[in-house]
Amino acid sequence: MIIVSPLEPETARFPMDTSSDAQGAIVAKGVEMSFPAGNQDIQVLKGIDLSIAKGSVQLLMGPSGSGKTTLLTILAGLLTPTAGQVELLGHEITQMSRRKLSRFRLQNIGFIFQGFNLFPALTAAENIEVALNLKDIHGNSARRQALELLGEVGLKDRADLRPSSLSGGQKQRVAIARALAGKPPLIVADEPTAALDSHSGHATIELLRRLAKEGGATVLIVTHDPRILDVADRILYLEDGEIVSEDKAAISH
Amino acid sequence: MASIARKNLLEDIPRFLVAQAGIMFAVTLITIQTGILEGFTRSTALVVDNSKADILVSSNQVVNFELTLPIPAALLEEARAVPGVEIAEPLLLGSARWTKPGTADIVPMRPIGFYPDGQLFRLWNLTAGDIDRLKDPYTAIVDESSLDTLNAEGVGDTGQMNSLPATIVGLTQGTQSTASSTFAFMSIESAKAYATVGLTSSVRCRSNPDGELDCSTVYRTEDSETGVPPVKPLAIGDAITHILIKAEPGQDLEALTQRLETVLPEVRVMTREEMAEMTRSYWKSRTGVGFILGLGAGLGVIVGVAIVGQILYSSVSDRLKEYGTLKAMGASDWTLYRIVIEQALWMSVLGYMPGMALCLGVSVWAEASMGVTILITPVTAIGVLGITVAMCVGSAFFAIAKVTRVDPAAVFRS
Repeated sequence: MIIVSPLEPETARFPMDTSSDAQGAIVAKGVEMSFPAGNQDIQVLKGIDLSIAKGSVQLLMGPSGSGKTTLLTILAGLLTPTAGQVELLGHEITQMSRRKLSRFRLQNIGFIFQGFNLFPALTAAENIEVALNLKDIHGNSARRQALELLGEVGLKDRADLRPSSLSGGQKQRVAIARALAGKPPLIVADEPTAALDSHSGHATIELLRRLAKEGGATVLIVTHDPRILDVADRILYLEDGEIVSEDKAAISH
Repeated sequence: MASIARKNLLEDIPRFLVAQAGIMFAVTLITIQTGILEGFTRSTALVVDNSKADILVSSNQVVNFELTLPIPAALLEEARAVPGVEIAEPLLLGSARWTKPGTADIVPMRPIGFYPDGQLFRLWNLTAGDIDRLKDPYTAIVDESSLDTLNAEGVGDTGQMNSLPATIVGLTQGTQSTASSTFAFMSIESAKAYATVGLTSSVRCRSNPDGELDCSTVYRTEDSETGVPPVKPLAIGDAITHILIKAEPGQDLEALTQRLETVLPEVRVMTREEMAEMTRSYWKSRTGVGFILGLGAGLGVIVGVAIVGQILYSSVSDRLKEYGTLKAMGASDWTLYRIVIEQALWMSVLGYMPGMALCLGVSVWAEASMGVTILITPVTAIGVLGITVAMCVGSAFFAIAKVTRVDPAAVFRS
């Protein structure tokens, strides 16, 4: 059971991460999100303010329905908020055109999904090559980089296996390698350990943390998994569409 | 890009095979229907196409090569006298019934009489026998594919045509029109005999007030058979079907055509190409054949679109998560369209090749066993490939529409 200590109202509205770089990799101001439900709108996010420092690993936690996945989706540039602003790497993204936003995601964000979302018809190496191809890296260069990335996640010998021949942990390592393809400055992960056992889950997050740190990437992870708290630089705790805590120690206890 | 399209296609082999079978079916249907139409229409003008004539003179009521009224053989001499005409030879198309002694089958025949020594109509694709044997009375050369129909074994076999004897003295290949009765190539004398057996004719002429002769041919049924009569040479009062004309070297065919039409009464004069085109066009447009075969080909396209469209749509539906993932990663809509279209292209090419191979096999078999020409020319083959590609890519429309609607944010909600 996670116990959240009450926060000062000012802090709760706009948690600033001062642990690293002064310039936030992700900055959200007054982000609100509502979804229509019958005749009325349900407000899922209620004025989220946050700033995430570059190069940090941040966990976004909270009970089911708290709005953390919606917030992650908005912060990753996949969903436009009903109100508020989001700045990624200094670029305001809520006003960007769909095409420009796609291009921005392609150049700057790596994605890791709960269900891995690997392409089942492709081998591990080809799954990474696809991500590199999208970034205009083709042919032998793409192949070489894919194998290097697989080497970094310890799966070089599994390069020619399809996802169906890999364990859950191995699949998520391939997904991490894919997310790191092209060295994006931001990595967002949705429940990356949910489908993994304890050992694989912890190893996966450690790997993600190490590689992200080495590459200087900022990592934002939505998770329910208390086993990975220790890898985070900060934990943002969401409840009923609001950030109610940013204190790692408080949540840990 | 690592070919997601190709790999996705081959990942589910049973579904892939079903799709390919569907495309193969469509390709086969389109090709065979088109091939039959092409073969059929070409066969209707085979005799014209293979003559050496520059110009044909026919009745002014000619509808096509075989559907026309007779013209007097007297016009042959008049045509020869027209300046610019080098050679003029008669062609006589008759009709007859073939019976084989000991069998009850009656087979409609189309005797085609010509000069065996002539220059403007030479039999082509002779596979057995000798054209010179046609100089013997009551002899004929038929197409190999007609032997079964005629209950005949081959060269030397005999039967009866219009109560007169007939001996097969040679065989040809690929000379039979699909639209016609069985062709029997023979001398003009034999053709005349088969055309007039049971009839005798005489020409009656009388002087009119202008001092010109008014002539008419009178046919009279013979009252009793008097055995096999000897064949008689073509006479001035006989009827023929066409006059084949070879122009003198350097002649302007258009001008010669006009001169012939001016000099010869109640005739229509056409170049060989015009007559062939007129005949083909008749069978293609003025009969239901073109429409029916075209309908079959159209049905093939519809079946192909339905099958490929369904397969592509379900393939995309099954992989929405993958397309969503690509979109989330930043892939443009065009990148996703390319995947679907590449899949459609692979399906079209991989369905086309075995389909076309099957068609070529069927066409060889049909020609050899039935004498039916399924004409698959390089143009047809390339055209069908184009149709197949268009069909497959076109049927990707709904799949593309679905891909367009994929919400990249959904990858975090599933």
